[in-house]
Amino acid sequence: MLHLLKIEWLKVKNYRTFWIIFILFLISIIGVNYVAHEMVQNFFDDRIKKKPGDLVIKMLIGTPPYSFPQVWQMVSQVASYLFIIPGLLTIILCTNEYSYKTHRQNIIDGLTRKQFVTSKILMVLVISVITTLVISLTALIFGYTSGTTFTTDNIHYLGIAFLESLNYCLFGVMIAVLFRRSGISIGVYFLYVVVFDNFLFWVLYRYGGRSGFFLPVDSADNLMVMPVFGELQKQIERPAFEYILAACISWILIYVFVSYQRFAKADL
Amino acid sequence: MTTVLSLKGISKHYGRIQALKNVSFDVPEGSVFGILGPNGSGKTTLLGIITNVLQQNAGSFELLGQPTAAAVRKNIGTLLETPNFYHYLSAERNLRIIASIKGHGFGDIDTVLERVNLLQRKKSKFSTYSLGMKQRLAIAAALLGNPDVLILDEPTNGLDPVGIAEIRELIRKLAKEGKTIIMASHLLDEVEKVCTHVAILKKGELLAAGHVDEVLVNEDIVEISAADQPRLQQTIASLNGYTHVKEQDNCLQLFFPAGAAKLEAINQHCFNHGVVLNHLLLKKKSLESKFFELTGTVSDR
Repeated sequence: MLHLLKIEWLKVKNYRTFWIIFILFLISIIGVNYVAHEMVQNFFDDRIKKKPGDLVIKMLIGTPPYSFPQVWQMVSQVASYLFIIPGLLTIILCTNEYSYKTHRQNIIDGLTRKQFVTSKILMVLVISVITTLVISLTALIFGYTSGTTFTTDNIHYLGIAFLESLNYCLFGVMIAVLFRRSGISIGVYFLYVVVFDNFLFWVLYRYGGRSGFFLPVDSADNLMVMPVFGELQKQIERPAFEYILAACISWILIYVFVSYQRFAKADL
Repeated sequence: MTTVLSLKGISKHYGRIQALKNVSFDVPEGSVFGILGPNGSGKTTLLGIITNVLQQNAGSFELLGQPTAAAVRKNIGTLLETPNFYHYLSAERNLRIIASIKGHGFGDIDTVLERVNLLQRKKSKFSTYSLGMKQRLAIAAALLGNPDVLILDEPTNGLDPVGIAEIRELIRKLAKEGKTIIMASHLLDEVEKVCTHVAILKKGELLAAGHVDEVLVNEDIVEISAADQPRLQQTIASLNGYTHVKEQDNCLQLFFPAGAAKLEAINQHCFNHGVVLNHLLLKKKSLESKFFELTGTVSDR
């Protein structure tokens, strides 16, 4: 395992595209949360100051989202809107191998096909761990600046963010292994995640009840909701969290299985 | 002699196109084994199957006594089809990745770069390399870890004449060190100059395999004819030295080992037996025409 990670490290260590996108993504986690913080928190503060005990506001927004313990959920949820980026990064890392034909050379030089896919999955794990670490750091910063006291309540949202990132990235691995070319892989990935996933969700929501919550990427998205507009969100009928979690994990296992199978059987 | 590679009935098709048809042969240890064939004859497909980047539809093979094992590939240096490297990394960093995969240290990276004259450019990105340099880097990569078996697919592809000569010299040197080299080429000349053994492929079929001298045997052809052709045939039966005879265009073609045909002796022999020749011609058969004959391609020369 460590051996495979070391090989991946040699591949990305001097790969500027990877570092630029990854670091910008990590900064964006803080950036997008700052934007959300300014919008929601300030709005909330203003209204509370003007009309202490305003029931409408309480109903619409709930408790301040950037204070402990909601901050864990809020930061994770806002950061998750950016998870398409680590997914993209994963696709770049995988399709690069196909473009340079180094996927062949790696096998020729003595990796097994299984090891090759494993090395990509390990890379995804590392990306997701780092992402989760930056999310927790961001949550700590906003939590403490809100003046509330630290609590581990709701900290499980970090784990959910990790799973969601894994889902996005491993979906990317599968798409890359299936389509091989970078252009088509990125195109299919974006169209699915941005358009078709949502399109199918709403079609299913209209005609198929709640099955849309279990779609490949939507199941990850639906693990969390915004800790604001709590009352409004109650209007949408959701399946139990456990079921969505099971769907998300199942999809992750399916992506991994398909990637291994495809790479093991294909002509490289 | 031990066998480095043994192929048994390998077949491969891409959709409806049959790339290899039931190919079997053995590569003995210490040989320089050329796989010769025109473009599209299945050479790269065959090497791809051996190196596990392609999967055969039928048949099996053993490399160093084992069927398709990654551990075996770690001890074989391979250049398949094109130089495959990370474009954004330098030569040195690319070789580090390969050394890591093979489980070696980085100790001999400079040595192999030196062997292909790339040491001065080791810090340059692969993307800045010329075609010839890329090819030489691929050969350097194959030499990493000093493997006993090398698989080289068109090793002189893209090289200038000096580069070609250098690589041939390198292959000869490696062969002298006792390494087994399996080499694919469409250049007969190249195979003739460096190989001890050869297998000839055409449209996925194995036409011949064995020692170079046996497969690509050089022959002299003597064409003779006389007014009384049946009489001539009888006369020829008592002549020594030729391997076989073929009738073509009212002529008889006598095949002799290279340099063994003596026109005077043939003429004398026929004359002694009361046959007067009206046609006597010595044709030197080149390796090239032999190759064309084997592969059934028509020379436009």
